[in-house]
Amino acid sequence: MGPLIPNGIIGDGWDFVIAILIGIAFGFILEAAGFSSSRNLAGVFYGYNFVVLRVFFTALIVAMVGIMYFDYLGWLDLSKIFILPTYLGPMIVGGVIMGFGFILGGYCPGTSFTGVAIGKLDALFFTIGLYVGIFGFSLAFPLFENFYNSGSLGNVTLTDVTGIPASYFALAFTVVALAAFWGTMFIEKRVRKNMKQYKF
Amino acid sequence: MNRNYIILTLIMLILAFGTLFLKMDDELDQVDPEILLQEIIQPTRYVTTDQVAKMIIKGDPSLMLIDVRNEEDFQNYSLPRSVNIPLDSLLNPENLSYLGIKGTKVVFVSDDDIKADQMWVLTKRLGYKGTYVMKGGLNCWMQTIIEPQQPSGDASYADQETYSFRKGAQMYFTGASAESSDDAKVEVQVQRREKSSVAAGGC
Repeated sequence: MGPLIPNGIIGDGWDFVIAILIGIAFGFILEAAGFSSSRNLAGVFYGYNFVVLRVFFTALIVAMVGIMYFDYLGWLDLSKIFILPTYLGPMIVGGVIMGFGFILGGYCPGTSFTGVAIGKLDALFFTIGLYVGIFGFSLAFPLFENFYNSGSLGNVTLTDVTGIPASYFALAFTVVALAAFWGTMFIEKRVRKNMKQYKF
Repeated sequence: MNRNYIILTLIMLILAFGTLFLKMDDELDQVDPEILLQEIIQPTRYVTTDQVAKMIIKGDPSLMLIDVRNEEDFQNYSLPRSVNIPLDSLLNPENLSYLGIKGTKVVFVSDDDIKADQMWVLTKRLGYKGTYVMKGGLNCWMQTIIEPQQPSGDASYADQETYSFRKGAQMYFTGASAESSDDAKVEVQVQRREKSSVAAGGC
């Protein structure tokens, strides 16, 4: 049956409408999960709050395992799903920059907007910085254009690269995620014990 | 510790473990399109009606004849030892069990090449080896084995050989009576010189 738009079950023009609806739902869930607070987000790096890890890992493993069952039941054709092309070097560098920005600013791009939505000043400055950064990157793009396009592996999955079936990765990720949930719970408890004040 | 967390953790673990037992469709054994194209171009998949007739007469156990016409046509006329699998019912598990047996040659038979060729492509796509098509189908079978045409007198030795094999095969398959060779029918006409009553010459 699925994916719905490529299979013509939903017309082509509806993708933006669906994107807005999913975007609203995504923002709502982010806010509800407490992601509009930069202390919550940065807490991962200092060890007193792992809600980010828990929420994102839960979403990841539920979606991952769910998609595999959908494929098995014939509701979704996995071979028709768009896979983001992999650029190994640029993605590692981009991830490092993103991580630094996350600790420094206390937000990632998506969560900064939920922060703006509930009127947080730090989130507002973060988003201003975000646009300045995008503008600067665009102007300086010719300087790192070569690096930006280097190391392309195409639209590959881990299964394509390693030949190991996707279900093994799914199981491994799930075990790692669940172990992280329980592990971080203990870390949180120990770190919070030594904190004098803890406010979100 | 929260009991809900424990239950959710267990559910997630069981679900993730279950994915190991899901059979993914992508793992279907399929032939590479390029290889398929190369094999379609090559005429090696064809066997002649003579080869088929020879194998049937010899009782070759490795031959597996599969008639791809519909059941009605199959009832009307079919080759001896052939099995009827119409084109649209190939994918029945029961029918697929005829294919892919090591050491057997599966030959598809239809009225002409077209349906048998389609069947051949389908089986190739499914990854089966050792499948062939009877060139010309049953129409060619009728022309060559059931009613062989006598080659002209100046045909090559090989043609004459083929014809004599086909005559033999015709007898095998139809029970036609052996025709005595035409050579025996030629009456030897001895021309005698007429006697003349009149004495020739003389004076």
